[in-house]
Amino acid sequence: MLCYLSAFLVISLNVQKSYSSNIEYDGSVTIRLQHALVASEDPVFTDRGNVTVHSLRLGQATINQRPLSPDEQLQLRDLAAKNHFYQLKSIVTANDGSQKTFLSTVKACMLAESELDDRLSVSIDYMGRVIAVTSIIASKSTCEGAVVSLEKLKHFTTSVYVRHTEPGPIPDTASYIQKLEREREAKEKGEVKDNRSFLAKYWMYIVPLVIIMVVSSATNPDAQQGSQ
Amino acid sequence: MASFQSIMKKYPSLLVILLNFQTLLALYEDQVGKFDWKRSFIGKVKYAHFDASRIIVGTEENIIASLNMKNGNILWRQLMENPKEQQLMLLHSDRDLLSVSGTMNNWFVRTWDHQTGTLLSEWTIFSDKNIPSVFTVEKGTLLHIFPTQNSHLDVVTYNLDGNNQKNTIKIPAPWITDISNCVLSKSYYICISKNDISGQLYYVNILSEKPKVYIKTLHSVLGDTPDLIEILPFEDIFPAFLLSSNGQAKVIHVDEDVVNTKIFKVMPNAVSNHNGEKPFIYQLEPASNPDKLVQIRVKDYATCQDEMATELEYPVGLGAPIIIATATKNTLTDVLLSTTDNAFMLVRLSDGKIMWTREEALSNIIAVEFFELPVSELDASIENEFKASSNSILSMLSHRLNTQAKQLSTLIFGEHPMSSSGLVRDAFGLHKLIVVATSVGKLFAIDTLSGSIVWSYRLPNVKPFSILGEDKILLFAQRTARYAPLPAQCILIANDKYSGNGVIFQFDPITGYSQKGIEKLNYQIAQAIHLPYEDDQHLKPVLMISSTNEVYLYPSCAMGEVYKYTSKLYTYLVDNTGSFKGYSFIHSTKDKLKMTPSWELQLQPAKLVAVKTKHPNERVHSQGRVLPDRSVYYKYVNPNLIAVATVSDDPVHKHVLSVYLIDGVTGLILYATSHKRSRGPIHLVHSENWIVYSYFNERFRRTEFAAAELYEGHVQSNSSVFSSFAVSLLPHVQTQSYILPATPLSVTVTLTERGITNKFLLAGLSGGGVIEIPWLLLQPRLNDIPCSPEESCIPYMPEIPLPSEAVINYNQTIGRIDGIEVAPARLESTSHILVHGIDLFYTKVAPSKTFDMLKEDFDHMMIILVLTGLVISSYLTKYLASKKALKQMWK
Repeated sequence: MLCYLSAFLVISLNVQKSYSSNIEYDGSVTIRLQHALVASEDPVFTDRGNVTVHSLRLGQATINQRPLSPDEQLQLRDLAAKNHFYQLKSIVTANDGSQKTFLSTVKACMLAESELDDRLSVSIDYMGRVIAVTSIIASKSTCEGAVVSLEKLKHFTTSVYVRHTEPGPIPDTASYIQKLEREREAKEKGEVKDNRSFLAKYWMYIVPLVIIMVVSSATNPDAQQGSQ
Repeated sequence: MASFQSIMKKYPSLLVILLNFQTLLALYEDQVGKFDWKRSFIGKVKYAHFDASRIIVGTEENIIASLNMKNGNILWRQLMENPKEQQLMLLHSDRDLLSVSGTMNNWFVRTWDHQTGTLLSEWTIFSDKNIPSVFTVEKGTLLHIFPTQNSHLDVVTYNLDGNNQKNTIKIPAPWITDISNCVLSKSYYICISKNDISGQLYYVNILSEKPKVYIKTLHSVLGDTPDLIEILPFEDIFPAFLLSSNGQAKVIHVDEDVVNTKIFKVMPNAVSNHNGEKPFIYQLEPASNPDKLVQIRVKDYATCQDEMATELEYPVGLGAPIIIATATKNTLTDVLLSTTDNAFMLVRLSDGKIMWTREEALSNIIAVEFFELPVSELDASIENEFKASSNSILSMLSHRLNTQAKQLSTLIFGEHPMSSSGLVRDAFGLHKLIVVATSVGKLFAIDTLSGSIVWSYRLPNVKPFSILGEDKILLFAQRTARYAPLPAQCILIANDKYSGNGVIFQFDPITGYSQKGIEKLNYQIAQAIHLPYEDDQHLKPVLMISSTNEVYLYPSCAMGEVYKYTSKLYTYLVDNTGSFKGYSFIHSTKDKLKMTPSWELQLQPAKLVAVKTKHPNERVHSQGRVLPDRSVYYKYVNPNLIAVATVSDDPVHKHVLSVYLIDGVTGLILYATSHKRSRGPIHLVHSENWIVYSYFNERFRRTEFAAAELYEGHVQSNSSVFSSFAVSLLPHVQTQSYILPATPLSVTVTLTERGITNKFLLAGLSGGGVIEIPWLLLQPRLNDIPCSPEESCIPYMPEIPLPSEAVINYNQTIGRIDGIEVAPARLESTSHILVHGIDLFYTKVAPSKTFDMLKEDFDHMMIILVLTGLVISSYLTKYLASKKALKQMWK
């Protein structure tokens, strides 16, 4: 289990590194996290903590979450045992004061099994506007309800990943033209030297010849015997 | 040896050529029309003129065409600009054919040759007035009239004798209260000021030296009428119009100061005909005979007496007709009718026989579904035998004897067709039925073999949904014909024209029979989902979500079945503002489904332009891609993936296209990309583990294709089950983009039954061709892995080659391609393709060639002869050899 988690981490970090300087304007956002620990059609959200992303470009975040109270721990354990969903509401406040609310859902049992180790994926568009905040649990399989001891359900260990919008690919005409250019030059210089050995070059002609010779030599003695 | 060397030199290039062209298929000349058919249409007819043995028509699709009077076939057809922007305003048949088409302030005036449809001349009219205007041709001049309400008439005249001399006059006309209360007849502009008897009649002859406005009270023209009065145009050789009240109309002739009211009353749909010896007036009315629907009444033009009434052999399925044009030749009179369901027909009087009918609704198809045909009766009875339904020994015995007797009779007398239509399933699923829904709400079933219409059904007062700017009707196959004796069942979901609420129509796609007819719902539909679960009747239920987020199930009796799956059921709702919400059904109860929001995306201020999920019937055969080092690169195949494209206006980059891949269960954005200075039209294709989208690059002013492919990596995280909740690795994304040297109108991907066959992209181009592009050409090349023919990888080329052999419709140009629909055949190699636009084109494609089928020129005789020859010769040589051995022994 651990190795997958670390694999996930490595990849996420790589992803971050490669996109880190794409957005045009850097900014910071604060995310207020609220969660619902009772399964209901109209869930009641209670405060879970705050996340401040200081720089969207670098993806650095400070996470401030309070431990769960014994009541909340019980509620979460109950939620996990009954295979319900754990819902997270994130209220994102951008630099300019605009607010957006996002909703995200994970399986409560998966959250409990991971001992409250969840990841927050903050996706931003090309301008640096937050378009989605999603909570995910790094795991290889899902569960259908699980009972986890209460002491493991106290502290959230959350990692925040700011996920940028990649710049789209552009048709690579330059290198193609270079390649054509190279081929043309090679042609002008003369034939491309074939460095393969004689056998490698002409095996398809040699093999049938050898076979024919073997076959004919195998039949010849019989014929000679027959004529005798 | 020299020759060997020369072959050796050619060999590598030959290999490359073979690799590049192996996927291309071209047709031999004698195969034209063998697997494909094309039907051409013209759209709803607006104007029609008789011209010798031809009919010249102008349509609402901004098309002019000439039809053969004998059979209604198209002799020539000219497509003008896009009808969404430009409309045909005038079609005048004189020495040459004159057409005016355009927008609110920009028009093309064109003249055409009657015989060939060749464009003879073209010039444009431009105006800065943003008001609706009308055109007419009178005495060799083109009149262009702009009525300004409560103010004046601007009249621009153009001489049509070659120099197009322009002349502008202004006529004060403060009496124009409403443009719908005005008509233009010959050179007279006629208005009524009010829609009741207290109103006045104003008219002016535009072409007179000094235009004078004549004023009459409606009372003096019509006498006393308490009803609402409407003014309607009337085709005549003199300036005339109709004043209609209470379903009856009077023909009024005006000539300078004289207003001449015809004393007889006609229906508002009347037309006059002056071709014959004696002028007549024709009108349509409901037939007096209850067996017939419509009759044409003929009235004497001069005396207004009823001449005769002819009942038409009017087919039941068609909508209400109106007369478009009439002409008399010798004693025969031809009447052209256009119906509310866009059909166009020629009726010959006096016997009222319908000579031909053109189903022009098919020029505007908005939903397509392919259906497998039922098995023959005999096969069905054999299948039934193995069902547990008959359990007593005696009944089983009698059943067995019965079927065997039938089998014997078919063996002796040959197969008799199951039904009159002969629609029976073939071995390879190559014969299918295509059910199409059109924008006027008419359903058609089309036979894939012949392209003929098997049945049609008109749904009155039905309106399509508007989804991301496109008209759509939903068609879901609830049950295929596989479950004999249960009939196949299909459901159509659309909007009611008046209330805007949903309507559903359930029918048997094979026969067109509907048990319940149109069912009106009392809510608006926001989303409809075709569930993949079958109930005990093998029906796949459809889930409908109302605009108030109430959930309904159809059929509602499938509730028990669906309830079992509610914990695995998710959906999403999209609106044009850019809000994108996911829902689960976790809080549903046994008797009521309930939606609970589970995730949310906020894409504002970007505008959604495309949302694509994978085809529900698609199968991914290969789990990974084999690399040259024999390792496997596993595909990330997420069945819940939604591809979304948005375009946002940007002050710096003008337009920015963003494409997102979103998991439909958790709302996690797996991949996001943006193209700056790029705009629509966007065509998004989503299949297996990849997406391809086309867009217009504003910087280079060209259309580009971009492909993105998702991989899990060299280890598969979970090979048995996929769960969106278990995210152990984010997929690796490979991307690449290409230049497409053409403008695509529609892009789709082939679909085969088991997904073994290679994938082809099919792009309908603006030139009318549908081109197949192998996915191998677009598949992103892996960076650090060599790409050469030995690795069965085509080296990267920035421009997608479009060889003419790859055009699947060869020289059969398809007008204004709207969509390409794909369905798998039961033969793995083959896909059915239906291309629709103004024309309808059907063909079959085999991206990996027909590897599972013998070639049609396969020589069965030859192989039998060779095999028997070999058997005989082996016995012969055995005999001879033993004889020889015996002889040698004796030596």
